[in-house]
Order: sequence, then C-alpha cells, then structure tokens
Amino acid sequence: MSDIELMEKKDDELVSNVTDYESSSFEESQKKKKTKFVKVIDENGVEHLVPVKKKHAYTPGDIAFYIADYAFYIIFTLACLFPFYYLLISSISNPDAVAKGLVHFWPQVKSVADDGTVSYHLGITFQNFSGLISGASVLKAMLISVLRTILGTALMVIASAFVGYLMTKNEMWHKKFWYRFLVITMYFNAGLIPWYLNMSMLGLTNNFAAYIIPGIVAPYNIILVKTYIESIPGELEESAFMDGATHMTVFRKIIWPLSKPILATIAIFGAVGNWNSFQDSLILMDKSEGLWTLQHRLYIYLQGASDLESMAHDASAGNVLAAASDTNQRVLKYTISMVSIIPILAVYPFMQRYFEEGIMLGAVKG
Amino acid sequence: MAEQEVVEKAEEGVTTEEVKAELKAIKEAGKEAAKKERMYVKTLGAKREKEDAAPVFWVQRILCILGFFAMFFPEFSPSRISTELISENMSLFTSATSYGRLVEYCDRFFRKGYISKLTFILLFAGSLLLMLGVVAASVGTCASLGNRKLKKRAMRISLCGSIGVIAGLGGIILAYTQLLASSKADKIGVTFPMGIIIFGVFAVLNLLVTIIGMVKVPAPEAGDDCEMETPYKLFLMFLPFAILAFIFCYLPLYGWRYAFFNYKAGEALTADNFVGFQKFTYLFKNAATRNDLGRVIRNTLVMSGLGILTSWIPLAFAVFLTEIKNMKFRRFVQTFTTIPNFISWILVYAIAFALFSSEGLINNMALQADGTHKATMYLQNKTALTWLQMLGWGIWKGVGWSAIIYIAGISGIDRQLYEAATVDGAGRFQRIWHVTLPGLIPTYMVMLLMSVAGMLSNGLDQYLAFCNSANKSFIEVLDLYVYKLGIADGNISLSTVVGMAKSVISVALLFMANGISKAIRGENIV
Repeated sequence: MSDIELMEKKDDELVSNVTDYESSSFEESQKKKKTKFVKVIDENGVEHLVPVKKKHAYTPGDIAFYIADYAFYIIFTLACLFPFYYLLISSISNPDAVAKGLVHFWPQVKSVADDGTVSYHLGITFQNFSGLISGASVLKAMLISVLRTILGTALMVIASAFVGYLMTKNEMWHKKFWYRFLVITMYFNAGLIPWYLNMSMLGLTNNFAAYIIPGIVAPYNIILVKTYIESIPGELEESAFMDGATHMTVFRKIIWPLSKPILATIAIFGAVGNWNSFQDSLILMDKSEGLWTLQHRLYIYLQGASDLESMAHDASAGNVLAAASDTNQRVLKYTISMVSIIPILAVYPFMQRYFEEGIMLGAVKG
Repeated sequence: MAEQEVVEKAEEGVTTEEVKAELKAIKEAGKEAAKKERMYVKTLGAKREKEDAAPVFWVQRILCILGFFAMFFPEFSPSRISTELISENMSLFTSATSYGRLVEYCDRFFRKGYISKLTFILLFAGSLLLMLGVVAASVGTCASLGNRKLKKRAMRISLCGSIGVIAGLGGIILAYTQLLASSKADKIGVTFPMGIIIFGVFAVLNLLVTIIGMVKVPAPEAGDDCEMETPYKLFLMFLPFAILAFIFCYLPLYGWRYAFFNYKAGEALTADNFVGFQKFTYLFKNAATRNDLGRVIRNTLVMSGLGILTSWIPLAFAVFLTEIKNMKFRRFVQTFTTIPNFISWILVYAIAFALFSSEGLINNMALQADGTHKATMYLQNKTALTWLQMLGWGIWKGVGWSAIIYIAGISGIDRQLYEAATVDGAGRFQRIWHVTLPGLIPTYMVMLLMSVAGMLSNGLDQYLAFCNSANKSFIEVLDLYVYKLGIADGNISLSTVVGMAKSVISVALLFMANGISKAIRGENIV
C-alpha cells in the first residue's frame, strides 16, 4: 500500500507542476487551483515562486483501480512463472514423491528410517539430472541441439550481415531485382509437403546439414541488417574506399563492428529459433534417431504419455492404467523439459533488451 | 524545394491556375533533367569498353545456369542408370554427394553378387566428377565477367569443367555397361537415363563455346591485372546466397507438380499417372475427404477467428500496465510475462502436461483434498472446449510479448496530450479512451490486418503438440491436416493439393489486407 501512495504522490507532483507552469499567471493559477507558493531566493539573489507540494488526496476510485490493476498483473505474472517453478521443483524432487503427487509447492526428498518406514520431507536432490546424463539418447539430443544452435546461428548471422551489406550497394548488377528476389520469399511458401520433397530431393533427409544450410539465408534478418547499415554514415565507408580498401575489408573492418547491436539482436532470435525448432527434426530425421533434437526427444516422450492417457480414458478404466505405466517416466519428462528451458531462462533476463529491440525493429521496418 | 515554394505561394493567395501552371512547369523541368541523365548514362555506357565476343559469353552463361540447376532435378539426373536400385528422387547433386543414398537399395544385390560394388563406386565417382565439372564451368562463366586477362583464365577453367563433365559421363556410361552385363539386368531395371544425353550436349556445347571464346578474345596487354567492374563483383559476392535462396525458397514450388499426378511412393511421375485437376475435384467429391476438409477448415477459421476476436487483449494489457507508474514493478511484469513467448510449443505442452494431466498438479491436489476425486482429463477434451483451451494457451504464451509493441507505442504518445486532458478534467478512463487508444489504433490495425492475412496459417507446432485421439476432431487445423495427410499417411498428391490451395489463398488474403491498408491508411503493410 505504501508503494502505491508514494507513486501516486510522484504522479501528482508531475501533474501539478506542469499545470502551474502552463497557466498564464501565478496569481490566476493560485486562485484557480488554490496551489500554495513559497518564495525562494536562489544563489543569484533572484526571487522565485515555487509551488508547495500539496498532499495528494486520491479518490477511492483510484485506490480501487490500483488495487485491481496491481492484483491482476501480480496474478498474471505468477501464472507465467509458476509453471516453470513447478517443473523446477519437480525435477529436483525425489521421483517417488512426484509420482505419489506429494510435490506441490516445495521440492520433496525421500528418507528411509531405520525401521524401513518411508517419509518425505523438504529438500532437494539432483538424482534426476544425473539419471538423465547417464541416458545416452537424451545426452545425444542435447548435443545435437547445442551444435545446431551454435552453428546455425553463427552462419545465419554472418550471412545476414554480409548480404545485408551487399544490399545497401546500389551499384550492384540489378540490385533492385535481387532485393525483391529475397523479400518475396518472406510472404510466400510452397507448403510443407513440397518443402519436404525438396529437402529429400537435395539429399537433406537424415542429414545434420538439414538443420544448418536452409537457415543460412534469412530474408527478414537481411532486411533488418540492411536497414541498420543504411543508418551508418556513408562517409566512413567512402574514406575507406579512398584509401584503397576493398568491399571485403570495408565489411570486416567497418560494417561488422558498427552493426554489432543489430547482429546481437538477430543472433539471439536465431538462437532461440534454432533451439526451439522441432518440425525439421520430426519430419526430416525419420530414419536417424541419433540426429533428433532435444525438442523432438521431449515430444516423443510426451506423446507416449499422452497416448497412454488416452488409452486409459478410452477404456474408461480411470487412471489406473496410466498411473501404472507412466509414473516412472513422469519425472524424466519434467527433467528433460527443465533442461530444455534452462538455457532460455538463463539467457533471457540479460538479453531482454535485445529481444525488445528486435520486435521494435520489426515494427518500424515498414 | 521548388514545389515547396509553390505551395508557399499558394498560401500567399496566388490563384489555383497560376499554381497549377507553375507546378506543371516544374514537373516538365524534372522530366527533362531525368531524360538528360538517362542520355548521360547511355553515353557513359557506350564509352565503357565493349565486351569482347559478348554473344559467345551470353550463350555460355545461359548454358551454365541451365546445367547448374539441372543438377538439382531428379528428372535430369544422368546417374539413375537403374530404376530398381536408385530412387527416382535422386538428383545428380544427391548422387554425387551421398554414396550412402546411392546404394540405399543395393544391399541384397551386393550380397548375392549380382552386381559389383565397384560399379557403384564408379557411378559415384563419375557423378562427383560430373558435378565438379559443372561447378568448374559455372565458376569459369562467373569469372568471364571480368577483363581480358580474367576472361582468359575463365576460359581455361571452363575448358577443364567441360573435360570433367565428359570424363564423368564416361565413368557413368562405364558403370551402365557393367550393369547391362550383369546376369540380372532385367531385375535391376537398367535404363539409359536422358540425363546422360542432356549433360553430354551441355559438355559439348560448352566446350565449343569456350574454344570460340578463347580464339575470339584478344590477348590481354602485358602488365594487366585480373580485374572486374564493381557491379559484377558485387553481384558475384551475392550469387552464392541467391543460389541458396533459390534452392530453399523457390525450388519447393517445383513440388507442386505432385498435385497433378497420382503419385505413389517409389514411382516416377510419368504421363501415365498424370491426372490433371482430378485430385482437386476428388477432395470435394469424396465424402470422407469432404467431411475431413470441412471439419479442418471449420477448426482453422474458428481458431483464427478467436485469435482475431481476442486481439485487443495485448493492447489492454499494455494500457493497464502503463497505468502503473512504478517502473520496477513494470519491468518485473514485462520480463516474466514475455518469457513464455520464447519457449517452444512442445515445452508449453510439457507444462500443460505437468499441471493438467490426469496425474498433474491440479488433479493431485484435488485428490488429496477429496479422496474420492476422479481425475479430470483436461487435455483429453472431446468437446469444443478444446478451442478455448488452445486460445488460452495462445494468450498465455503470447500476450506479454505482443504487448511490448503497444507499450512502446504508449511511450511514444506526447505527454502534453495527457496533461491537456487532465487540465480539461478528464479522468483516468477518459484519458485512456481519448488519448491512449487513438494513439495505438494505427498499430493495432496493422496487427489486425496481419492476422487476417495469416488466417489460414495457424502453425503446426501448437496443434501437433496438443493433439490426441480425444480432441482430434476439434484440434485439426489446416497445417496439421496437411502434415498428417502427407507425412503420416503418405498421401503426397492430395496433401500437396491442400497445401497449394492454402498457399495461394494466403497470398490472396495478404494482398487483400495490403489493399485495405493502402486504402485506409495509405501505407503498405508488406
């Protein structure tokens, strides 16, 4: 409550200051607004009339509004946060405790007393994570995801920077045509099946290169970089050309360092996209399980559970069947989910600025 | 500048006729200047050194473009010398880069000794040599854009390329004769692919053109360096990326031909199974597919419609968030409500599973509160409630992120407007209604039009992740239907038809939305 009061006060100060400033004369404003002024003499000996900060009297309506407003945002933020928290505490709890449904708001571990009685209490354990690491398939999937994220993002950023730079060069042979050639691809795609047939025609099924090569040319990112480079003063480039630099040198020594902010933005978006991408793994890697990404692996685990649950449901056998076969897997799923989320949660708060710049750039692209 | 002056004059009270006349004069002067500039450029062009033997090089360029792209089309592959052992989807590029796929179906024949492994190694080597030859010829063609010295070198590379292609073809033909000599030639289905003739013609023509070029281009002056004019240099730097864009964005369109054939896996597309528009009519004539399609389109439109109906939510989210003046709280809310946007739909489903499955948190807590509680299957909903669930997850994931653009919009609104409104006695909601909302409407309209344009593309991930046997009939949207029909059921032709129709309608919708935007706001959205 005190927070709100404080804020309200600040708000009101702003408003009253400005209104006084805008009115034609102090006397008039004093009469109208009944604002009190005090005389203040500054270091030069000049008299000033300064309004006395009046105590804010906010209406009950305001209070009700702020309570509702704050309450809504607090609840919504919790709704966004709690699922992650729940996955976290489940993944650091004892599997049996999770299977028994004892984990609600705090992580639980199991302890066995001397007489063999089992009890659960607050505590954390990393046995799920170590269990995950010993499972080769998940580890492999993690490796594939990390590799594709790093390689795919790096190549995409370099290519976008370079092509973005080339696209600012009007002297290129038929530049306008080539620019349109790139832009059109953003608004049109042939569809899923032709895409799949094309990839298979190119030999990119069951092939790690399928994660990397198609993503190298990203028209949207190229446009973003091009727009950014156009805002860099042309004189820098010109003087470099005067000194005999080639286009490559200018790109490496001038354009690349100067466009780092935009490159960071597209890199972060590219990395998240690569990490989350799962369609290509699902559709193209049908015969090579070793190349599945982490998201694909998680999807398969979840799908298995979902099928079981449907079976149980269809057989109207309650949740007996599902409970019997699915409990041991449950923690595993939570832990894989947690492993997939951690990189994003770890990176996001530090990179938020770049993310937000990204959406704004998209908006002003025009 | 001049136009501005005229406008100023108009403000000073000059009659409209005078202004019009003056404007016309200015326009004509501008036209004249443009004409002069064009002439100047033309003369400059004439002054530029005329390319030696230009027609020869243009023939070579066209030849190389055709040869290069022919490498990616299975129809033109010279390596498919057996119909049974080599998939009809193998282009020259695939044959030359992946030995594993070349011998994919050969194991049995190798084991029984009908054919020798050496034959296929020869075939692979020949294909590789052929491909490298085509690439070399293409590189030579690119380099021929330079000056005489560079042209001379380019010719040499091109010559090597032609010889490489011929040598590669020789290897393939050798492999072909070896297959013919095999005892099971009929079982292997040995054929003489058209590609051999096509690439043979390519090699011979290229050789011819290269030799003519070598003779016709005069020797460079002593001390000349290899040089190229900037426009071509820049173009060649861009070329690799143009090729990538072509291969991954334009080439898939070639797959649309499957819509006109009765394609079965493992068969080639020939005149025999060409069916024209039969697949299109089949979709509507066949009762089963008609029902499916009707259901799928209903789901698609309902999901998009719900999305459009709730598109004001991010706006409201932003407006009421900015009413809070505590910046720390606002940052906090913004940070954590945008995170869900960055996790994949699979993870969203994982979260849904953790909370709402039969043994998820909600059911567990209910069970512990009431021992007789029977688990509710939130995720196996057989009713239209599924739509609302999907909408809810969409909002949970996207609202914080979509709000950012409006928050930025609000901070761009002139503060004085709010102050003026306050002075005039406007309350909080009146300020929102009369100042904030009008400031955000343009952005909102763009977003709305974009979502109308994307009406048919709900995306695959969300629905694939949440789909199960119970909610199937309410969750299948077009994207999911195409995926299931084509990838899971293997009905390539029919799903291509659906996908194709979707793509065409989507583009039409986009143009429509753009047209509306142009008419209302005078601005393009694409």
